[in-house]
Amino acid sequence: MTTTTHTVTFTINGEKKTFATRPDEKLLTLLRREGYRGTKYGCGQGTCGACTVLLDGRATYACLLYAMQAEGRKVRTIESVGTFDKPGEFQKELVAAGAVQCGYCIPGMVMSATALMETEEVFEDEIVKEYMDGNLCRCTGYEKIWVALRKTLDKQASAKPAAKKTAKGAKK
Amino acid sequence: MKLSEFIRPATLAEARKALRALGPKGMPLAGGTALHFMQGKTPVTAVDVTRLGLSYIRQKGNYFVIGAATPLSDIQRYRGPRWAMHEICRRISTHQIRNVSTIGGNIARVFPWADLPVVLLAMDARLVIYSGKEKEMTADEYFSAQPARLFRGGDLLTAVKIPVLKAHHGFGSVKVTRNAAAFSLATVAALLELKDGVIKAARVAAGSAIPFPQRLKPVEAALVGKEAVTAVFKEAAAAAGAAAKWVGGEGMSADYIRQLAEVSILDALERAAEFARGRAE
Ligand SMILES: Cc1cc2nc3c(=O)[nH]c(=O)nc-3n(C[C@H](O)[C@H](O)[C@H](O)COP(=O)(O)OP(=O)(O)OC[C@H]3O[C@@H](n4cnc5c(N)ncnc54)[C@H](O)[C@@H]3O)c2cc1C
Ligand code: FES
Ligand code: FES
Repeated sequence: MTTTTHTVTFTINGEKKTFATRPDEKLLTLLRREGYRGTKYGCGQGTCGACTVLLDGRATYACLLYAMQAEGRKVRTIESVGTFDKPGEFQKELVAAGAVQCGYCIPGMVMSATALMETEEVFEDEIVKEYMDGNLCRCTGYEKIWVALRKTLDKQASAKPAAKKTAKGAKK
Repeated sequence: MKLSEFIRPATLAEARKALRALGPKGMPLAGGTALHFMQGKTPVTAVDVTRLGLSYIRQKGNYFVIGAATPLSDIQRYRGPRWAMHEICRRISTHQIRNVSTIGGNIARVFPWADLPVVLLAMDARLVIYSGKEKEMTADEYFSAQPARLFRGGDLLTAVKIPVLKAHHGFGSVKVTRNAAAFSLATVAALLELKDGVIKAARVAAGSAIPFPQRLKPVEAALVGKEAVTAVFKEAAAAAGAAAKWVGGEGMSADYIRQLAEVSILDALERAAEFARGRAE
């Protein structure tokens, strides 16, 4: 039984909310308890990436973060990116490429890719690999996930005006 | 680590006061990524040190000053003149960990596999500690034993100062892993000062394959006064065997790890020399 003795307030998928919690509850546990079940529990120790959420726009493992650390911050989960009826661009490409097997890793993959697409303007392989290096997939061998991601990124890059095409965030 | 309470002080003085009052029942929390793995029987109060204005990187005179709560990903992205810290940061764990874990958390309590102590020892960094007022110490003093000893009384690490490399100074670091995000099998770093092709000064450090990060003084001694050429680097790297207690693991013998460290030192020295001769920024 969880005794909730504290509260934490943060913006979740654009909505400011206050949750009851306790000092050593992990953000992942809180999110899943509150119905944000798209965020998965895989290893619970910061190695698989299934629990990836965005904290102030940066990809983070929710299984390592104490919920109390999220106070005042902006948290985004997979629910903010797409739904079964209205999938996001990368999700559509994943389906088209047949890149999903068990699907457990996919929400985390999509969140890391979201951080990439919202932070960077140039999607060189090195940068893409850097953003995706914390997400493991035990089924697919990554090839089709990569193909789907490349397609999504190329589309996004060609939709942007050429003048903006200078790297701003991570450099090698 | 079990947490019984979680507090977010607004100032450094408040944080220290809280930690002093809590004694062993309190613990600073930065990214919290190491706290997750720490075994402690009694629950502690986490004192959040990420809201004290300690996340920044600035060039100040001859130093880059990095706030203790700066995440590794910010250090990886930062660019300054002759900046060399990004390479090792890129090699630590994964994107998600680098976004959260801080330079202070990596070096306030040093685990045997930590990468940053190795680099900071070679770079001759300085550490800034707040104990009511700020005091500085050299990396040699700071890493002479487990740094956690310095924080028991509630003091806090506030910044890491890294010398801006002068012309003819070069730095190189190498981290050997089984796969990209794995813990290090051996991490080595070298700082060289060259003059007319001759090594004027050298600092070489290692970690991960030994019980605690340390400088390799016999390697340094074998470099100073000699020409900065591969043959000299090879001979110096061979002095690493006697300079530290190499430890095997993960199916690898101590002797294998020592050899791995030696070739890594050679590589780091070559990189440092190339940097000193004028690397492409
Ligand atoms: C899956 C995984 C893989 C990793 N791989 C590597 C790796 O390959 N190489 C490597 O070097 N590291 C690695 N790390 C370690 C990671 O870098 C550390 O977890 C991190 O550096 C700790 O930083 P933090 O900000 O999360 O610290 P926290 O977990 O918040 O704190 C760590 C310790 O430092 C103390 N502390 C924090 N800030 C201060 C301060 N300002 N003053 C005094 N004390 C303080 C805390 O009380 C605690 O004892 C890995 C971690 C994980 C989870
Ligand atoms: S569940 Fe968080 S990284 Fe695996
Ligand atoms: S599809 Fe099963 S883990 Fe990736």
